[in-house]
Amino acid sequence: MEKKEYDAVILGGGLAGLMAANIVAAAGFSVAVVSKVFPTRSHSAAAEGGIAAYIMGNSDPNDDPDFMSYDEVKGGDYLVDQDAAELLSKKSGEIVNLLDAWGAPFNRQPDGRIALRYFGGQTYPRTRFIADKTGMALLHTLFEHSTGFKNIEYYNEYYVLDIVREGDNVNGLVAMEMKTLNPIYLKSRALLIASGGIGMMYKHTTNSYINTGDGHGIALRSGVALKDPEFVQFHPTGLYPSDILISEAARAEGAILINNKGERFMAKYAPHKFDLAPRDIVSRSMTIEIREGRGFEGGYLGLDLRHLGKKYIMERLALAYDAAKNFSGVDASEEMIPVRPAQHYFMGGIDVDTTGTNHDLNGIFSAGESACVSVHGANRLGSNSLLETVVYGRETGNTMVEFLKSHKNVETNSNVEPIIDAAYAYIKRETGEHFGILTEELRDVMWDNVGIFRDNDKLAEAVKKIKDLRVRAKTMYVTDKTSNYNTELFNALETRNMLDVAYTMATAALNRTETRGAHFRDDFPTRDDKNWMKHTVTYLAGDEVKISYKPVTYTRWKPEARVY
Amino acid sequence: MEEKEITVNIKKYNDKDGAFWKSYKLKADKYTQMTEVLRRIKSEQDPTLAYRASCHMAVCGSCSMKINGVPSLACRTIALQAVDEKNEINVESMDYYPGVRDLITDIDGFYDKIYKVMPRLIADESVLMGENEQRMTPENQTEVWKFQECIYCGLCVSACPSVKEDEKFLGPAAHAKGFRFIDDVRDTKKQERIDLLMDSAYRCTSCYMCYEVCPQDVQPVIAIKKTKNYLDQSRSDTPVTIMARKHDDTIVNLIETTGKIKESTLFLKTFGFGEAMRDAIDMLKSGKFKYAFEKDSNVKNMNEIKKMMGDKK
Repeated sequence: MEKKEYDAVILGGGLAGLMAANIVAAAGFSVAVVSKVFPTRSHSAAAEGGIAAYIMGNSDPNDDPDFMSYDEVKGGDYLVDQDAAELLSKKSGEIVNLLDAWGAPFNRQPDGRIALRYFGGQTYPRTRFIADKTGMALLHTLFEHSTGFKNIEYYNEYYVLDIVREGDNVNGLVAMEMKTLNPIYLKSRALLIASGGIGMMYKHTTNSYINTGDGHGIALRSGVALKDPEFVQFHPTGLYPSDILISEAARAEGAILINNKGERFMAKYAPHKFDLAPRDIVSRSMTIEIREGRGFEGGYLGLDLRHLGKKYIMERLALAYDAAKNFSGVDASEEMIPVRPAQHYFMGGIDVDTTGTNHDLNGIFSAGESACVSVHGANRLGSNSLLETVVYGRETGNTMVEFLKSHKNVETNSNVEPIIDAAYAYIKRETGEHFGILTEELRDVMWDNVGIFRDNDKLAEAVKKIKDLRVRAKTMYVTDKTSNYNTELFNALETRNMLDVAYTMATAALNRTETRGAHFRDDFPTRDDKNWMKHTVTYLAGDEVKISYKPVTYTRWKPEARVY
Repeated sequence: MEEKEITVNIKKYNDKDGAFWKSYKLKADKYTQMTEVLRRIKSEQDPTLAYRASCHMAVCGSCSMKINGVPSLACRTIALQAVDEKNEINVESMDYYPGVRDLITDIDGFYDKIYKVMPRLIADESVLMGENEQRMTPENQTEVWKFQECIYCGLCVSACPSVKEDEKFLGPAAHAKGFRFIDDVRDTKKQERIDLLMDSAYRCTSCYMCYEVCPQDVQPVIAIKKTKNYLDQSRSDTPVTIMARKHDDTIVNLIETTGKIKESTLFLKTFGFGEAMRDAIDMLKSGKFKYAFEKDSNVKNMNEIKKMMGDKK
């Protein structure tokens, strides 16, 4: 088997992974970036609306970073670690300027400075953007910047199998070249997991097909904890019926949500912020409208942009216009866009502190959506995911540089044969369960039972179902026996990861008997600060999910009622 | 929602069996994207089917393939709009790139061409140190963004006839990328970029295939034409750019002296006597030689022409 040694291995070529790769490489260390897709295919490309930033001298004169942190803390329903939020706000301006210096073509004001607009949950407008393809433009910028480094090697279209542990230390990872199924052992003392989200385990999701929680799965299997996995964001405006994202930028630019009675129903649920209330609130309100019969036939609501005029729509919301046109046959300048909520973002993730360090295993770091730094708490605000990827991608990169300076690679090579055998077992098995059936059943139960509205019965049923699916997955097999870009094998391996992650999510959701942010319990409809102002920490121990807790870090904001 | 049964014919390929067609029947409605069609075929009928797909909203550039012979993104193609009168649709891998498995091709050659154009902004050191801020007019941003919108899907290169014939041609996508940085006021390497791209720019035949197939409307051929506008500033002459200069100079000269582009003179001056003679023999053989000496009078009001040319300078 092929073996290569690096200082750092980075799993994931999206914004967080590439930001860290640039930082670690600039310090002179060797980096391998491993991704199951070419970096620009990563899900960061799908982020549309923008990146929030307070830029000194180029923000609303009344704004300051504290308002921004407050918005994050309140938006996250006080499950936010306030030191993490403050760091995110404080560094937002300099990171946008850095991206600009590296070539990101931000939309401009007439005087040449970077433009800005409002986004949901913001006291003052802070969102910087590149048309409505901000994620794509930033991803290309970081990838293109990285092509200037000779010490970054890309393993594109390599699928990660598992983390290699040696005692309490990381000793790299094992991946498989997808084209040939040849395994490779990439040895390193630092491993960054920046593998994005989990959307494909939900029937309705705005996520890419590749978002299967691979990083979370391998972390759980090597004894690393996921924090707050019960918190999943549902975006209000998934395009009906394809669930393609219609950016919050549409509402930020003035679009309004309309029910079948022609009412702007958000006035009822969020009398101050209307359609720009945080996403959890808007998604719940929409679900109530649809449930109570005020949706359109098929189960959707209208997103009305018509009053903005075609020219403005084309300038600011070209992607939303194109998506509605191409994928739903609607001309948004003449008709309402049909929308309904869809899974969008995973607030939970690999348990790390504000330096991006995980404390379960020496040398494990995580950043971006795969991590839980607790800047988003129980609900993420729009424009903050891009910001988190680059701010914490850089913070974590810097932490890794310090770690690399003071540590040496583990001297011994670990025995990685069991990892490879476990993957090949799916090919060797001649009969059993097929990934397609297991995945569809998982997608259904997660959407129906671990969705926007939850209760004890639904969640208990979900846990039982997922346990059953995990048992059945032990006999999963693939019909394709070739080693010639065998995508069926990778689908099976993805299913294994999704099932492990879903198991912790459903278990933690059942365990949290309160409503907070995106976690809404019909049977416990209020926030319970006395008992639940704490993070859930979940470990996967064989067939059991072990739950413990961590306190929330406060700096200055006390919990108050969350009204918009 | 109303559904229709469609037949999807997919040209499959693997190392052992080579290429062969296989048909699948399934139901689609008026919203069903081809990426969803492929996902369902894989999940319900043929798990061995191999293809690339990620964002399904035309920003990641993964699902490039030929649909009914046309280079397309599968996600941008709605199944019922693409079927023929028998409700059939044909799907194959992209042209030009070596096949790997079914609809997956090896497009490393595509990436390699992009890496050759120094595809990254080199800002001023003071900006990188955070001492200076960069400004950019909205107009400049709009033009840069137009060419930056390329999603690396590779369709333009698969459709480009020049790339196939001329290995020194960097291809449409790399040129769009290269020009995006030439055009960016924040970049400090404009001269190097002009020198780097000029020879290749003149290897484009302006056939507009890239313009036709680009799913993002990046218009790479326009980037190439705009690059050619910098010919006077290019410092690295090659046989190709020398010929380009002769061609440009002759056009200016012809218009100044006759008010017209006279094709035979232009040909002779650009390619030189030897090359023109070789072509003349071919023309004799095909009976087209007589056209080389067609009488072509000058424009009458040369004063007007001179005034216009003077203004231009």
